[in-house]
Amino acid sequence: MKIGAPKESVRGEARVALTPESATQIRKLGHACLIETGAGVAAGFDDQAYREAGVTIVDSAQALFDDADIVIKVREPSEQEAERLREGQTLIAFFWPAQNEAMLEKCRARGASVIAMDMVPRISRAQKMDALSSMANIAGYRAVIEAGNNFGRFFTGQVTAAGKVPPAKVLVIGAGVAGLAAIGTATSLGAVVRAFDVRPEVSEQIESMGAEFLFLDFDNAQDGSESGGYASPSSPEFREKQLECFRAQAPEVDIVITTALIPGRPAPRLWLEDMVAAMKPGSVVIDLAAEKGGNCDLTRADERVVSDNGVVVVGYTDYPSRMATQSSLLYATNIRHMLTDLTPDKDGVIQHNMEDDVIRGATVTHQGEVTFPPPPPKTKAIGAARPRAKEKAPTAEEKRALESAEFKSQTRRQAILLGMGGALMLLLGQVAPVSFMQHFIVFVLACFIGFQVIWKVSHSLHTPLMAVTNAISGIIILGAVLQIGSGSVIVGILAAISVLIATINIVGGFLVTRRMLAMFQKS
Amino acid sequence: MLGQGFVSAAAIAASVLFILSLGGLSNQEKAKRAVWYGIIGMAVAVFFTAFGPGIGGYWLMIPMIIIGAIIGTRLARRVEMTEMPQLVAALHSFVGLAAVFVAWSADLERRRVLAARAVDGAMHDFSAFAALLAHKAPDELMFLQVEVVLGIFIGAVTFTGSVVAFGKLAGRIDGKPRQLPGGHLLNAGAAVLSLLLAILYLNGAGFWTLLLLAGLAFFIGYHLIMGIGGADMPVVVSMLNSYSGWAAAAIGFTLSNDLLIVTGALVGSSGAILSYIMCKAMNRNFVNVILGGFGGSTGPAAEIEGEQVAIDASGVASALNDADSVIIVPGYGMAVAQAQSAVSDLVRKLRAAGKQVRFAIHPVAGRLPGHMNVLLAEARVPYDIVLEMDEINDDFASTDVVIVIGSNDIVNPAAQEDPNSPIAGMPVLKVWEAKQVFISKRGQGTGYSGIENPLFYKENSRMFYGDARESLNALLPMVD
Repeated sequence: MKIGAPKESVRGEARVALTPESATQIRKLGHACLIETGAGVAAGFDDQAYREAGVTIVDSAQALFDDADIVIKVREPSEQEAERLREGQTLIAFFWPAQNEAMLEKCRARGASVIAMDMVPRISRAQKMDALSSMANIAGYRAVIEAGNNFGRFFTGQVTAAGKVPPAKVLVIGAGVAGLAAIGTATSLGAVVRAFDVRPEVSEQIESMGAEFLFLDFDNAQDGSESGGYASPSSPEFREKQLECFRAQAPEVDIVITTALIPGRPAPRLWLEDMVAAMKPGSVVIDLAAEKGGNCDLTRADERVVSDNGVVVVGYTDYPSRMATQSSLLYATNIRHMLTDLTPDKDGVIQHNMEDDVIRGATVTHQGEVTFPPPPPKTKAIGAARPRAKEKAPTAEEKRALESAEFKSQTRRQAILLGMGGALMLLLGQVAPVSFMQHFIVFVLACFIGFQVIWKVSHSLHTPLMAVTNAISGIIILGAVLQIGSGSVIVGILAAISVLIATINIVGGFLVTRRMLAMFQKS
Repeated sequence: MLGQGFVSAAAIAASVLFILSLGGLSNQEKAKRAVWYGIIGMAVAVFFTAFGPGIGGYWLMIPMIIIGAIIGTRLARRVEMTEMPQLVAALHSFVGLAAVFVAWSADLERRRVLAARAVDGAMHDFSAFAALLAHKAPDELMFLQVEVVLGIFIGAVTFTGSVVAFGKLAGRIDGKPRQLPGGHLLNAGAAVLSLLLAILYLNGAGFWTLLLLAGLAFFIGYHLIMGIGGADMPVVVSMLNSYSGWAAAAIGFTLSNDLLIVTGALVGSSGAILSYIMCKAMNRNFVNVILGGFGGSTGPAAEIEGEQVAIDASGVASALNDADSVIIVPGYGMAVAQAQSAVSDLVRKLRAAGKQVRFAIHPVAGRLPGHMNVLLAEARVPYDIVLEMDEINDDFASTDVVIVIGSNDIVNPAAQEDPNSPIAGMPVLKVWEAKQVFISKRGQGTGYSGIENPLFYKENSRMFYGDARESLNALLPMVD
């Protein structure tokens, strides 16, 4: 099959769906690769690089669409591109089928199959082709860089000869992929990062990235696993609580990065005008949801706005394209993984398997029919959130009662054991001769010492412990030594054999212990 | 000839030295000194006893000691670290056998002394032990007989039990649990019969009762251990370790020798604690292990979803190259494949690349308590990166790559997730929490317990099939 990548037709789009690196991998699957001339230049890959990777360079988009069996793109097709599709051809691109119904209908009418990269289901197996996450990751990183560009101070706190610099305080709203990437980038630059998300189960992820989770004490917290790992709209009461929390943060934080999106809806308004007004002059708001209307009241898409009190609100929507090389590399790899799944036998033959959860989920038109929306995937996106165990701290009295009860039961158990042991000893003392009892005392004391000492032995030295106890249990040689001089021949022989094997035990045991211990080395 | 005062002083010194020697094993550096305490203690004890009052037969004793020392030295030099479990089992059998012999001799001496007394009532010129006997009152002699019975019984069980354990560990006897028809009833019958014999003996029956008693105990030891499977050997070996101690203590009572009693008690309690630790690590009680077999499951096991996905060496290598933190979980399979030096090479390479590499050791990994630690130490893996289960179990979640080499049940998530699993509740290493898990395994079989391992079907698990050593050697050149 021929896989072709045209030049992106949208103005300002610098990404490309095929890189020399991914082309090499795709050719290993048995496919041939085509690319429109100059398609990769904006992302830093010239025609020569493609040629070296074995990609055929095609002069025009029309020629590419005519020749390729599968067209791979970044953005959804334009009207003109949709016209070029033909029956049986497959298009792989971001498609946004829910928002682009007319385009969906057009592609269906042309008889082309469309695989929408934005519809790849969120299950573990499909992570490698989750292009939304790759792009969101880049957007999160870039958001912090953009914030730094607009922010007049350091991120990290420093004490210099010229004075003390406090660290920048960053608030990240929405801990999806972009939010987590922003948290990671900001913490590694040295900022103090706080983060908020409506899904309490992400608190662990936030904390693992080194940020502080702003916890809202609210009962009807959402279960993100039900909605495929995405957030869903929240109740008015919850929203109020949330805004209250943000309002408290506003005067403190220097940089706010908002990433809150709800699939298929306008972005929720979370950073209101009064919060911007409460921020310090020179602070920065980066709104990653600008394309969907923005989380901040002041956001204007693709623009940098400065508020009356000197707060910069950045509403760019093209962060991945601003890092075209990186995004192209990742996106091309996502596409390549999709092709790998479509070519299970690695023989250059596409098998559009509609039974496969991932392929089925991403396919929006196939064989002249619209196949959107897909049925729910068979596997759940992520495990249901374990509700945070609200440990009720026991009150002081309860604790004391518990402790005293435990102490009492322990005392009782010990008293019973001691009592029984004492009674046994008494009985034994009645029948046993005095000399025996003297030895018995020694025996019991030795057992106690043994228990005390052995518990302290390190686990890693248990084998040497066995070897050494083995050696010292060879002490039985003393018994044989005491008997070997006996007048009786049989006793002499038995004792001699005992001496022999006990010596093997002693010498063998000690030597092998020494050998083992010598091997233990510190790094 | 040294006087009794010297002998007693030596006994005290030796007891203290033995206690210090065991106590010193609390850490690796002290242990190297502690083993010398043990050696000196033993030398003192043997020397002063051998040259104490009333000891004879040097013409026999000294050559025997020399021969024994030579054999012991050769044994200790030659043994491979993977063969440690066998060696330990074999050495236990010696203590058991010696205990039986000494106890028999004690009874023979007793009869000789009694016979001499009956003839003329005069004190003969008896040597050491017999001289001691001659001074004993009748009730003391009665108790001596009880001690003799105990010494013989425990010693004999230890002897055959250890021989069977040795055979199983060395692979000369099939490792599967195997019992004669009648099962544990046979053991119980033999035990009852032993008790009858003991009563007969105490009531004055002849020496034949002791021979027969030993025979029955030999059978019990053999049959008991034959019924226990290979993977339960850590418990068995530590149990036999304990028995060998109790046998020595029983002999100590017979001979009225405090040093023997102290040492026997130390060894006995050491083995008992080891058995307890092992049992706890398998969440089973001691009786359950000794009577063999896993407890019945209480319901159908949870169904396992997913499939086992295989991976080749280059896949593992690229994951390792990308990882920052790696934990290796070794098991008995590593010892079988002799893969420890390949593991060590891999670790050295990864560490040289600045990655954090650690080992997680489950208490029952291998066939002997602490077996894995010794194997890794032999392969020159530094001990400070070899951690116990409790120390490392919470770190899996923040680890990039876990490599499981030849272990199965100790990493089985069913123990925690499936209350119907036969191993439910057993503490296990939570390897599945890591980002990626590679399992080096010979084939698709189940572990010792015969329980399916859901770990192999998890989405972050990849099966790295093949002999552990060959797989690792194939992996080595690809890691940089």
